Amino acid sequence: MAIAKAERLMNLALCLMNTRRPVSKRELRASIEAYHEVTSDDAFNRMFERDKDDLRELGLVIDTVESLDGEFGYLARSDRNRLPDIALDPEEAAALSLAAKVWQQARLAEAASGALQKLRAAGVPYEDASSALEPRIPAPEPAFEALMVATRERRAVAFDYRKANAVRPEPRLVEPWALECWRGHWYLAGYDRDREDVRVFRLSRISGKVRARGAAAAAVPDHVDVREAVARWAGEGATAATARIRLRHESGYPLRARALSTAAVDSEWDELEIPYGHGLDAWLAEFGPDVVVVAPEELRAEVVDRLRAVAKG
Amino acid sequence: MSNAIDQTRRMLSLVTYLRERPGARVSEVARAFGVSEAELIGDLNVLPLCGTSFRGGDLLDIDTDGERIWWHNPGTADDVAQPLRLAADEATALLVAARAVANLPGLRDSDRQALLRAVTKLEAAAGEAAEASAHLSVTFESEGSVFATVDRAITERRRLWMRYYSPARDTLTEREVDPIRLFAVGHTYVEGWCRLSEDRRTFRLDRVAEIRLLDEPSDPPRIEPRDLSQGLVQPAGDDPEVVIEVGPGGRWVAEYYPHDSAEELPDGGLRITLRTPDPGSLRRLALRLGRDGRIVAPAALAAGARDAAVQALGAYGE
Repeated sequence: MAIAKAERLMNLALCLMNTRRPVSKRELRASIEAYHEVTSDDAFNRMFERDKDDLRELGLVIDTVESLDGEFGYLARSDRNRLPDIALDPEEAAALSLAAKVWQQARLAEAASGALQKLRAAGVPYEDASSALEPRIPAPEPAFEALMVATRERRAVAFDYRKANAVRPEPRLVEPWALECWRGHWYLAGYDRDREDVRVFRLSRISGKVRARGAAAAAVPDHVDVREAVARWAGEGATAATARIRLRHESGYPLRARALSTAAVDSEWDELEIPYGHGLDAWLAEFGPDVVVVAPEELRAEVVDRLRAVAKG
Repeated sequence: MSNAIDQTRRMLSLVTYLRERPGARVSEVARAFGVSEAELIGDLNVLPLCGTSFRGGDLLDIDTDGERIWWHNPGTADDVAQPLRLAADEATALLVAARAVANLPGLRDSDRQALLRAVTKLEAAAGEAAEASAHLSVTFESEGSVFATVDRAITERRRLWMRYYSPARDTLTEREVDPIRLFAVGHTYVEGWCRLSEDRRTFRLDRVAEIRLLDEPSDPPRIEPRDLSQGLVQPAGDDPEVVIEVGPGGRWVAEYYPHDSAEELPDGGLRITLRTPDPGSLRRLALRLGRDGRIVAPAALAAGARDAAVQALGAYGE
């Protein structure tokens, strides 16, 4: 029976950590039993490279050293792999236990558990998250993981993206800067090479695979405000414009909650002044016969237009 | 079954953990590592097959009687048993989550301070690995004062009174609720036992128009908490089916409404099929969509939206 991958990775990690001098690939192949099973040199080389990458993903720093006779040796130096001392009180430990449960995205959920395991191995006390609060970060979009890695490694990416009203997706070439989750949806901000400007993308509108496209080149600004851009699009940014509407008594609580002023007109209607941002026409149409737009004329026309389309069926 | 990478990660930490705690109890180690005892025993079966030297020999001599764990040659493993630095993924996962929770409006100040202190210490310990976390951020939306009231009600086991907005009906209703837990998935929600409907209900905090703590004790029946990983809306198999056709401008419906299927249409639109216990609640969606989409079925819902639009147009002299 083939030796399990975890056992092979463990042996490689322990060998690399327990040596003071670089160990050659030849020596490692000779001493780790799982590598004996691989007979072809090509297959062994591929497996060895993959194993090193896997261990690096787990945080192991593996140095590659070339010897005088041109052979490469490897070692994981203890000073470069040691977690610095960290002392957490029980409240802080409980806070991290809570934080570790937050991710629903598989890779980060596992990474969070792994981080806690390392911290507990280093002496951080076990404290359960006692809070009645359960925060969850959703990350269902398949593009997330590739974009997270590209952002970290400063790599450009290519993907197909369908804009909100577009009939078809279009290819985009982007240098990713930041990922942000707002109201349960993930957004990417970055430099769009073709449009030569900053753009914000919603991950759920990316279709197909995210492909790597070499190193990123544009300077990354200190501060990238994804949320501000998205909030403005959602009609929630700061706006000076206002609209006047009539609203039937007892209805439209969210409109009332945002109203700048409210006055009764008669026994049936109130008149409200509300902020007028992007998307207000669609929102007002939702209330059907309980809302009548008074002003401005442009908003009135947009709402009437929507209602006509529905009335035609 | 956990995959090989995660098992390796765990076993590396186990080596450190076990060396510091001779005779550690299986149950306690499993709890500290967040795995079942069976999974832990699985790891303990692999560890004695692992050597610490490229010269061979020097296997880890770790064994267990099923209750306690013993390591007989820990002296051979100075370098392999030191606490390991965090990987970029690991630091990112904890830091981004801790910062997000710390910024949640309404969180108790002591909880917030503990999170922020932990973040500072973790950043220092993670060093370079912490830098990657700067590219990722998460915001939970919450109504601070409502959150604080619900949190207090749960802690003090007291009933809540609230005026709650239902978008489906565009009405406010008064209810008494025995709160069970708060959870945040983008927005923040309280799950509780609603004394008005005598059933489990989930309330979104930004739809709470008014809230008060009552003196009456909270006494929710014992219920299994909902599994949040399956999404907030879990339609039942016998819920009525709704079919909506949208143009390119209405594709967002598929992003916001959990659905059974979304077929591509030739014009770049979608034909979306979903189930809901209350199709009438989708009248708002039909009105909102305008020329970007229409209800195909059920007919009564389509007719209801049409009638509402015709009636609304009356006010504009049409």
